[in-house]
Amino acid sequence: MIDWTSWLDYGFMRSALFAILIITPLFGLMGTMIVNKKMAYFSDALGHSALTGIAVGVVCGMQDTSLAMVLFAIVFALLLNKIGSANTASTDTIISVFSSCSVAVGLAILSKGGNFSKYSSILVGDVLSITNREILYLVVIFGVTIVFWLVCFNWLNAVCIHRALAKSKDIPVKVMDNMFAVLVALIVMLSIKWVGILIINALLILPAASARNLSSNMREYHLFSVIFSVFSGILGLVLSYYTNVATGPMIVIIASVIYFATYWRGRKDR
Amino acid sequence: MKNKYVFVVVMLCVILVAGMGFTNLYVNYSEGDTSKEELTVVTSFYPMYVAAMNVVGDAPGVKLQNLSEPQTGCLHDFQLTPEDMKLLSTADVFIINGGGIEAFMEDVAKAYPNLTIVSTCEYLELLSDGDETNAHAWMSVGMYREMVQTIAMGLAKADPDNRALYEENAEIYDSKLMRLEERQQTVAEAAEGTDVILFHEAYDYVADDYGMQVSCVMDLDEERQVSAGEVSEVLRAINEDGASLILAEELYGKSMAETVQKEADVSVIYLDPLNRGDYEADSYLLGMEHNIELLEAYFVK
Repeated sequence: MIDWTSWLDYGFMRSALFAILIITPLFGLMGTMIVNKKMAYFSDALGHSALTGIAVGVVCGMQDTSLAMVLFAIVFALLLNKIGSANTASTDTIISVFSSCSVAVGLAILSKGGNFSKYSSILVGDVLSITNREILYLVVIFGVTIVFWLVCFNWLNAVCIHRALAKSKDIPVKVMDNMFAVLVALIVMLSIKWVGILIINALLILPAASARNLSSNMREYHLFSVIFSVFSGILGLVLSYYTNVATGPMIVIIASVIYFATYWRGRKDR
Repeated sequence: MKNKYVFVVVMLCVILVAGMGFTNLYVNYSEGDTSKEELTVVTSFYPMYVAAMNVVGDAPGVKLQNLSEPQTGCLHDFQLTPEDMKLLSTADVFIINGGGIEAFMEDVAKAYPNLTIVSTCEYLELLSDGDETNAHAWMSVGMYREMVQTIAMGLAKADPDNRALYEENAEIYDSKLMRLEERQQTVAEAAEGTDVILFHEAYDYVADDYGMQVSCVMDLDEERQVSAGEVSEVLRAINEDGASLILAEELYGKSMAETVQKEADVSVIYLDPLNRGDYEADSYLLGMEHNIELLEAYFVK
C-alpha cells in the first residue's frame, strides 16, 4: 500500500497544492464564461502568445520573463478584441492569424543560436518551478477575479446573451469584453509555467464544458465547473506525484474523463 | 433533479477510487525492494554513473543510483521531476559533472544544503567557447582519468570506512584508462594538425586530445533546427580551410553529415559521445576504444 500523505512532506508539493487550490477555482469560474462566449479558441491563442512574451522579455533583457509575458498577453488580448470586433473576417480566422504569427515570432527569437531547449519546459509545464512570489501573484489575481465576478457578472452575462440589448440597457459592452479578456490573459500567463502551453486551454475549457453537460441554470453551471476543476487539480497533482509524470497532463486527463462521463450522462437525459 | 447531484458525487468517487487504485498498482509494480542502505550515492547522468560504478565496485553498504535514465544523454534541458527530488532527498553523496551541465544544481543545492556534492570537473581546466564553458570533459581520456580520481577522493571523504577500497578500485580502473591513452597517443601523432569540423560540442575534447585544428563547430547535441547560415559556414570551412574530416554523432548528426557530404568531398567519422548506453562497468572503456579504432583506421592506414 502507498502512504497517501507522504507527498505533503515536501515543500514543493505543498506550494504546488496551494497554487492549485487558488488557481483551479478560477479556471472553473472563468471557464464558464469562456465556453458561453465561445472563446475557447481565443484563450488557446493567448496561451500560445506566452512564447512571444518570453521572447520579448529575453530581447529586452528583462530578468523576470513572467512580467514580460503578462504585459505582452494583455496587449495581445486587447488587440485581438479590437480587431475581432471590427468584423472584417470571421473571428476564428483572425485569432488563428494572430496566434500563428505570435508563435512564429516567439519561436524565431527563442531558437536563435539553437537554444530553444532551454524553454521547452514551458511547453509541458513544471510543477516544481512554482515560487513563493508566483503564488503571491496568484493570490492577488484570485482576489481581483472574485471581486470582478461579484460586481460585473450580471453585466457580463447580459453582454454574452445579447450584445445589442445589453448596449441599449447602458451596459459598457466594450469595457466588459476587454476586462474579461485581460483577466483571462492574466490567469493564463500566471499558470502557464506549471501547466504548459500545450494543455493550458484544456484546463479552462474542460470543467466548464463538463458542467454545461449537466446543469440547467447558471448557479449549477458555476458550482459544477468549480467542483470539477478543483477535483481534477488536486487528484491530478497527487497521482502525478506517485506515478512520476508531469502534473499538467495528469490534471487534464482526469478533467477529460469527467467530461466524457458527463457527456454520456447529458445525452441520456435528452 | 436531485439525481444529477447523486450522479456527480458517484462519478467523482469512482474516478477518485479508480485513480488511486491504478496508482497503487503501478507503484507496487514498479517498486522493487527498498532495503535500507548505509550510504546512497546518486549520480547525475550516464558517464558519471559509469565512472562512479567503477570506483564503488562492490563496496559494502553502498547503493549507487542514477538520477536520469541511461538514454537521456546530456542534461542540458533536463527537468527535475518530483521523483528525482525524492531520490535526492535520500542521497548522501551526489556526483555531478559540473561545468554547468547540471543546470538544475542551484535548486538542488538550495533544497538540500546538507547533501555532499562531488563535482568531477572541479579541478580540471575546461575548454570554453567564448564565455560558454564546454563541460563535456569525459570525452578526453586524460581528463576522464582525473575525474575518476576526484570521484574516488570525494567518496573516500564521505565514507572513510571504504576508503582503501575506493582508492584501489580507482587505481585498477585508471591503469585500464592509461592503456587507452597510450594507444591514443600513437594515433595522435598521425592526426596532429588535421583540420576538422565538429558536429558535437563534446568533440572539442577529442580534437584537443589529438591535436587537431577545429575549423568549425556545429552543435547538434539536441534535436533542433539548423539554419541555412550554419550549413554554409560548414561548407566555407571545407572550401577555404581545407577541412576534410567531420566528427559527428550518429544519433543527431547523421542527416546533416549526409547533406554536407552531398555538397562537398569530406569524410565523416561517427564517434560515440559516450553519454548514453547501458549500465556496464566497461562501457566507457569499450566505447572509447571503439572511437580510437575509428580514428586509427582513418589516420593510420
